[in-house]
Amino acid sequence: MKFVLNTGRSVPQGAAVEHKGTEVYRTVSSACFLNPVDMMLLGIENGERVRVTTPAGHIVLTACPAEGVTQGECFVTIGPYANHIISSETHGTGMPDFKSQRVDVEPTEEPLKSVGELMEEIGGLRYDSA
Amino acid sequence: MIVRDVICPFCGCLCDDLELETEGGRIVKVQNGCSLAEATFISDTRLPAPIRRTETGWEEISYDEAIRETAEILQDADRPLLYGWSSTHGEAQSIGVHIAERIGAVIDNTSTVCHGPSILAIQEVGHPGCTLGQVKNRADVIIYWGCNPIEAHPRHMSRYTTYATGFFVPDARRERTVIVVDTRRTDTAGIADEFVQVEHGGDYAVLSALRAIVRGKASVIPAKVAGVAKEQLIRIAEICKNAKFGAIFFGLGLTMSRGKYKNVRNAIELTDALNRHTKFVISPLRGHGNVYGSNEVFTWMTGYPFAVDFARGIAFYNPGETTAVDILRRGECDAALIVASDPGANFPRAAAAHLAKIPTVVIDPHVNATTALSRIHIPCTAAGIDAAGTAYRMDGVPIRLKKVIDRGYPDDAEILKKIYDLLNGGMGP
Amino acid sequence: MTEIRVKNACVIDPIRGINGEIMDIAIRDGRIVESVSDRAEVIDAGRCLTLPGGIDSHTHVSGTKVNFGRYMSPEDMRAGRTKRKGKMHVTSGYYVPTTFGNSYRYSAMGYTTLLEGAMAPLEARHTHEEFTATPHQDMLANTLFDGNWAVMDAVREKDVRKTAAVVAWTLKAARGYGIKLTNPGGTEAWGWGEDLTGIQEMVPHFAVTPAEIITTMMRANELLGLPHSVHLHCNNLGKPGNYQTTLDTFDIVPDLNPDRQTLYATHVQFHAYGGGTWKNICSRAEDITRSINSKSQIVIDMGQIMFGRTMTMTADGPMEFNLHCLHNNKWSNHDVELETGSGIIPVTYSKKSAVNCIMWAIGLELALLTKNPWQCLLETDNPNGAPFVKYPEIIGLLMSKRYRDEECATLHAETEKRTSLCALERELDWHDIAVMTRAGQAKALGIVSQGKGHLGIGAEADIAIYPIRTDSVDPAREYRKVVEGFQKTRYTIKRGRVVSRDGEIIVDGANATFWVDAKVPEDLMMENDPEFIKRFEQFYTVRMSNYPVQDVYLPRGRRIETEAFT
Repeated sequence: MKFVLNTGRSVPQGAAVEHKGTEVYRTVSSACFLNPVDMMLLGIENGERVRVTTPAGHIVLTACPAEGVTQGECFVTIGPYANHIISSETHGTGMPDFKSQRVDVEPTEEPLKSVGELMEEIGGLRYDSA
Repeated sequence: MIVRDVICPFCGCLCDDLELETEGGRIVKVQNGCSLAEATFISDTRLPAPIRRTETGWEEISYDEAIRETAEILQDADRPLLYGWSSTHGEAQSIGVHIAERIGAVIDNTSTVCHGPSILAIQEVGHPGCTLGQVKNRADVIIYWGCNPIEAHPRHMSRYTTYATGFFVPDARRERTVIVVDTRRTDTAGIADEFVQVEHGGDYAVLSALRAIVRGKASVIPAKVAGVAKEQLIRIAEICKNAKFGAIFFGLGLTMSRGKYKNVRNAIELTDALNRHTKFVISPLRGHGNVYGSNEVFTWMTGYPFAVDFARGIAFYNPGETTAVDILRRGECDAALIVASDPGANFPRAAAAHLAKIPTVVIDPHVNATTALSRIHIPCTAAGIDAAGTAYRMDGVPIRLKKVIDRGYPDDAEILKKIYDLLNGGMGP
Repeated sequence: MTEIRVKNACVIDPIRGINGEIMDIAIRDGRIVESVSDRAEVIDAGRCLTLPGGIDSHTHVSGTKVNFGRYMSPEDMRAGRTKRKGKMHVTSGYYVPTTFGNSYRYSAMGYTTLLEGAMAPLEARHTHEEFTATPHQDMLANTLFDGNWAVMDAVREKDVRKTAAVVAWTLKAARGYGIKLTNPGGTEAWGWGEDLTGIQEMVPHFAVTPAEIITTMMRANELLGLPHSVHLHCNNLGKPGNYQTTLDTFDIVPDLNPDRQTLYATHVQFHAYGGGTWKNICSRAEDITRSINSKSQIVIDMGQIMFGRTMTMTADGPMEFNLHCLHNNKWSNHDVELETGSGIIPVTYSKKSAVNCIMWAIGLELALLTKNPWQCLLETDNPNGAPFVKYPEIIGLLMSKRYRDEECATLHAETEKRTSLCALERELDWHDIAVMTRAGQAKALGIVSQGKGHLGIGAEADIAIYPIRTDSVDPAREYRKVVEGFQKTRYTIKRGRVVSRDGEIIVDGANATFWVDAKVPEDLMMENDPEFIKRFEQFYTVRMSNYPVQDVYLPRGRRIETEAFT
């Protein structure tokens, strides 16, 4: 199903923002908020996973229902999960399409990646601190 | 030990009424702060020492080694990028500009992916604004457009707007009308007197419609504009025109969605039109605690608030060309210094990926996503926690952040100064 | 110990009564001394015009609204850019240069001390940060009080002592130098989008008039023993017919101080308009100067406009909004809670506009019709009237009737009918210019005792050597040479170091900031006043303990202590 990806801040995301290696952060920033009707149309329950694809790549997220999100929109907090699929095109403004990326969403059994894994996918080496 | 009137450095609100309790060199309790403040001061885990990436993992190195290697990386680069700056104090930001000037680098701050478009709009039509206390003391109409302060600026409404008791607004919430405009029904929308739900990408049209109504041309408005009923638009315009003092606050909903800086320009022009009827102001809700500070410092030193390119020996500014995401996306830079920010997490994948391909140095108190993409990460103080310095609130008011505890880390200004001195001839043959 | 001997200087030092004497100047460790040893570095001034360092008594170079002007104008930043070179950092901006731009260009013109025209106390830290980045001039800050709630309350209670106490506390907190009033009362009205139209009109909610604010503040100023007088941007700036407001204001100025003026009225050109509409606006410079000529307790500065584009930026929010409605240029506004306002918009002064030509003429008329040059100082309210780099052209115009006539011939035809400039024969001389660009400022600002504005023994060695031979240039005919000569010094010496040579900065700067600490009796210290504290904490959005500017922002602060109420 086609959606528009909206990204933004949330308190839990902000509280965990300096701890991006933690489970808490992973949960908070890999959540994909969808309108309950859209979830029904996709055939998924709360907590099940979705694969979200764009020309820039794909990412596995966890679906969560949110009444406030309109049909056709999905909301993910700002962070490496959302950015894994957002195009780096800025249309000459310097600002990418953080709130208007068109995405394809389908249910999936694939596992969630950690932030470290996402960074390694793009050439990084995770640093595991205590 | 109790420390009073502490400034929280996390978001653009720069709340300065926090009371902290310290014990054994750590902060153990935060009063008056929101949960973001608590996380900032209490869950403050740091990278213990500078680290460098090796073939197989990471090794700890000394500060001297890390600083020396950083200077060498910057010296050798043809087109270095110095990015971030938003969570550190002005003293460090100034040195960053000096370094960039010295080596002909591009220096950019996080406005580039946040309120950069607002700045572009201001550069077209200006910024009719005020300090937050003007809103607190006078505003009877508050509009939150494309932002969600309950989640991103939790105390904004209690300190500066909706719930704040003002000299001319002693009854606070009861005397105020709150309008929230967003594509989704957020928690902030939940407390609004009027919630305007706009279709995705429809803010520009709605702003144009409101401007037309304010200018007496309601007859040209169709029954619905971007999903918003004409009746509601007329009602909103009336509320605004009849306000004693209206304040619009806007966020990434305008800067990041389709139209970007044109959306913000339209909102500013609406404010201008309303000023022909009554008093109206507009202000961006700045995200990072001191991103506005980086705009101010860059501006008085170079003339431009972000995306400054020194490669030609002059200060050169061209968003879209000299902005960090574009420079990374085009693979144009061959070294990067990332200070007080996390582009690894906050930049689109293709741009972040380039950081891993070039020598990247991070100077930041915390391990973050960019750490994994870097070659060296040098931990330093966190401004407002263990380093004092100047920060600029979202409305331009400059406040001095406090040093509350000492954790034995060097100030990033000190680290940057050492790098600067090495680049200025202290490097030897 | 560094010693310099400037030899063969043709000195004009009005404060010490020296007018064109060839002499040597001995400098040791930053001050002027009787004599120096043979080891001193020698600078041969070659009989060139040597003056005390220039002092600008009203310029907008640092702080929130200036920086607003920069960042909203990338087109101006591009217009004035220079490369990094030697000790000189990159600069940008022509009408609103960056801080280094300001500092280098002022230094090239021989200026060594600047008074920032307006600083809101709440944002003082910003001004001080920019002061440090304007490294070749000593800085002073005019501190805004025009919409200050605690002041207006004390004025309403007719309590001069309380007013003075609030001023003392705030000046110290902001590390400010003197009292600035910009459209007093009007900036508070602008908090509601309103303005005042006369000095007897009541400020909404506060029940005081501008006249009351001005008179109470003048008395408070003297009670505190402040070195400078109240510095006033009159109400009704820019409106046709406003000359009456200006005269009314001048009429309420008592003579309270034997050493200097009791009121410094700034950029009076903008306040000298007759007529009633843009169509019939005319010059009332004659009426204004008649008043000044009979009142030694008033000093003004010109507020000269020059043709071309520039940025207007003042604390006068409502005025800037009106300008925006007129010109439809981009407009910024920034009201500061409990204190003041500001507005910023670019404008273009055009020779095709009768109004602009009249404005241009009025500034010059003020200078030529004020008998005593100590009472009319040379300023453009930089950048509102024109960028300061145009001062040399103004000097040229004041010294040469021929230059004025040539300019007048290119102006709108109405200028001659509505101003008297074309008929004025007076040509100012070198001494007059020295007064209007430094000695007069030093006296008006009260910094002569700090060693500024003159070259006597003990003075700070701030010296400007201009490539002008007064014995061989006739300023009345050779005005081009006059203009060029004042554009670039051969040497600018700041506190005993050569900082600029032929326009190039050759050292890093280390400027000082002067500020005033007026000591008041304990019962009047606002930090002990429960009512003041309570209102502060309730209505400001910063805590009182976080408000004052910390010492760290003034690395070379020069504290001037005064004893109040003596």
